[in-house]
Amino acid sequence: MASVAGNRFKQDERRRNADHVSFLKHRRFRWLWIALMLCIVTGLGYAMIDQEPRPNGGSWYGYTLGTIGLLLIVWLSLLGVRKRKITTGQWSLKAWTSAHVYLGLALIVVGTLHTGFQIGWNVHTLAYFLMLLVIISGIYGVIAYATLPSTLSSNRKEMTRAEMLDALTALDRQLESAAQPLGREQTDLVIAALEQDVFYGGAWGRLTGTYPGCKTNRALARISESGSEAEERVHALLVKRADQLGQIRRHLRIRALLEVWLFIHIPATIALLAALLAHVVSVFYYW
Amino acid sequence: MAFLIRTIDITASGREIVRDREVGKSELVVGRAAESDIHLADLAVEQRHVRLADAGGGMLSAESLGGLEFGLDGRSVKEGTIDPNVGAEVSVGSARLAISREGDGPVQIIIKQVERDEAAGDALSSFALAAALPSKRTMAWGFTVAILGLLLAVPIVTNLTSTAPENDPMDKDVVGATKFDAAWISGGMSVEHAHLEDNCEACHATPFVSVQDETCLSCHEELGLGDHAEMPRLREGMAPLSTGDAIQWSIAETLGKEGPLGCVSCHSEHEGPVDLAAEEHQFWDQQFCSDCHDDLDARLTDVSFGNANDFGDKHPQFRPLIYTAHFSDKPVRVSLDTEPVEMSGLKFTHDEHMDEQGGVARMAISLGKYGAPLECSDCHSDWSEAERDMMREGGLADAAIGTLGNVKWSQADLKNLKQSGLSKRRVEDLGDYKPVVMEDSCEACHSLVFDRAGPAFRTLRHGNVDDLMADLATMDRGPRGDIVSGRGRPGQFARGGRYYSNFGRPMGLYIAINRALERDGVCGECHIPTMTDGRRDLTPVNLPNRFLMHGAFYHSAHEEDAAGNPLECTECHATSTSNEATDLLIPDLESCRDCHLGEAAAKTEEIVPSTCAMCHGYHTPTSPWRPEDHPDMPGNGANDNVAAILSSLRR
Repeated sequence: MASVAGNRFKQDERRRNADHVSFLKHRRFRWLWIALMLCIVTGLGYAMIDQEPRPNGGSWYGYTLGTIGLLLIVWLSLLGVRKRKITTGQWSLKAWTSAHVYLGLALIVVGTLHTGFQIGWNVHTLAYFLMLLVIISGIYGVIAYATLPSTLSSNRKEMTRAEMLDALTALDRQLESAAQPLGREQTDLVIAALEQDVFYGGAWGRLTGTYPGCKTNRALARISESGSEAEERVHALLVKRADQLGQIRRHLRIRALLEVWLFIHIPATIALLAALLAHVVSVFYYW
Repeated sequence: MAFLIRTIDITASGREIVRDREVGKSELVVGRAAESDIHLADLAVEQRHVRLADAGGGMLSAESLGGLEFGLDGRSVKEGTIDPNVGAEVSVGSARLAISREGDGPVQIIIKQVERDEAAGDALSSFALAAALPSKRTMAWGFTVAILGLLLAVPIVTNLTSTAPENDPMDKDVVGATKFDAAWISGGMSVEHAHLEDNCEACHATPFVSVQDETCLSCHEELGLGDHAEMPRLREGMAPLSTGDAIQWSIAETLGKEGPLGCVSCHSEHEGPVDLAAEEHQFWDQQFCSDCHDDLDARLTDVSFGNANDFGDKHPQFRPLIYTAHFSDKPVRVSLDTEPVEMSGLKFTHDEHMDEQGGVARMAISLGKYGAPLECSDCHSDWSEAERDMMREGGLADAAIGTLGNVKWSQADLKNLKQSGLSKRRVEDLGDYKPVVMEDSCEACHSLVFDRAGPAFRTLRHGNVDDLMADLATMDRGPRGDIVSGRGRPGQFARGGRYYSNFGRPMGLYIAINRALERDGVCGECHIPTMTDGRRDLTPVNLPNRFLMHGAFYHSAHEEDAAGNPLECTECHATSTSNEATDLLIPDLESCRDCHLGEAAAKTEEIVPSTCAMCHGYHTPTSPWRPEDHPDMPGNGANDNVAAILSSLRR
């Protein structure tokens, strides 16, 4: 019994350890090595096999590379389906993700060799560049996931998103009452600041963190710090508001940088599948 | 410090009830306990939850009493400092305490119950980038519909619903009926097919069926491109495929390709602006031919020609096409090994004409046209490349055709020369040398003058015995016998007089005609007399324009030997020892091998390594492939793309 318990402990330990290994390092980079082998083998094949009149996608080696590439692309895009079905073991989601990343990178080599370096304004090259777009956005995604979450967390300063919004609305309520003594012009500035959507700025504003039309900053610039008592108070509250808004916007920026790749990766993947269908059908339609 | 506490409650009908009270303490306790300064009847609030105390300097401190957090300006904290002049908001449970102060007045605390914020969840979702971008699904669908619609559905539908224009090799402006199929092109067109770029259906005639030979021939048969052999014989004679190739081709043939002998298996389109005919050096390699021809007789037992794999080692003797009998209709191919006798129908001796000391030489020296002993080029001249181009391009005026020499063109040739030009094949069939024309090359000595009319000489028409008879029949100068003897007509009517008429029988001109056609007559100098239907005639002249019909030879390429020394005609053609017109002066295989050996031979001052393609073409046996004629074509020489560099490194 003791040995059984011991085994069980070991087994559990191994699983626990495995749970904390990054998908990149999964099983000592098993998929990295497999992907590298794929690149080397296809590269050597390209260099050694004499394709007449010259290497291209229509030679037998070209068709072979194309088939490998097509199967890889279809399989890689199935990660979207696979990740919604949670299982463990041999084909755990982590294994899939690891293979997805490394085989996806290997696709750069396989796909490029399939083109035979022949590029043109056609559906074939469209598929190739969509593939590159998907892979490059994927590389960005891996880097973003590895680096950005820590900055996101440090920006939070132990506040939840709801608290950030609450803080802003609390400030807004105070601003509203503090601004009561102000004149028309300044009141309008405050109203504009309060009415502006917290999330104003669109995707570009979020990604770059630039908000040239920010009404809070505008009000801050025009309501004097050294005016009447009411102005002074409103100014102080606007500074607080701008600070709070700054935190929210930094959060938005990091979130956007963290998520933007998916808005390229996913639609481009589906577009790539469509372009691949057009590529394959057109090649055999006009065979 | 005094506090002004204002409680605002909202009735069920939405009306606000405001109650004010002042508390003159320096600290307040907020909690659920009844004795709290600010009593909040909310189970989420501790009995004593927060203490607000004077922190000095006009500031307030807020401090949690029970260890639970409270909200300060939206944050959950356990303690904090508040400047009432700036204002702050403390939230405890569902109550919100807005703290402020007007000037030096009491600290005002306004208590309100928070309405539940239904939109809070929505606001949180706004933190995701998805809130600022169209959804991934929308974008994916949009791209998919655009790509499949424009790049797949439009070409397929228009292809299926339209009729492709008919192929016409002479009309290069035809545009195909399929829309947007330009997006399907997998690479640039070859030089020859550049005009087909907008007419995909010209070659891709049937969906999902690879380009068929039949389609290629719909233009190329008309352009006079011959086939190497009939397809069944090509298949039979083809060398066995390697296992790998056999597997590939069995797959390809299952999918509808026409096999290794189909047009497109060698002529790959969509490889950019290359020259398809001279596309790759692979066809320039000896191996390309020797694969099949090395042991062709093992597979095709009835071939009339020998095996070949290397010009220096294994190549059959030349078999020029000549007439071996007078009056024969067809020339036959005879091996030079059998010392063939050419029956051209002419009498001619090269040695006599070429002898620099002989009578012919003396005569030539005396003639202004020559002024020296005869040279080969006095009678034989080759077509220049410019003349070949003129013939191929066509559109020639009569004057331009005249500059090509005194060639007896057929009506069909004349028509083509004036219009679309002669086919490549026809130009090659004309041979390397122009035909020897009697009037140009012989007549200076072998005069055809037969009469004098005033200051001019009359010349016999050459080439047709009927013309000759007609010309001679007009000659009426021979003396005729008098009808009566002893009496002459008087005055100007007498012989020699102005009005003299010859009433004698025209014996003389018949004799002249007969004499001309005799062995030692004017015709018999060069021709062999014969009788046709009891009438004097001449043996027809059968002199081929070219002798070696299945290989190309250019005299212009042989003006110098490999070392650059001038090459005399007589080094290959034994004219000085030829004293019969029946001698065939075509050099044999051995004579060519003095300089030309196979591809693998080392190049020296004497030896030129020679591939099959130097003399033979696959489709055009009478003209060679000459990729070196197109050094600037990509694919035919230096190419700087990565694949080509790798490819050349590999080689």
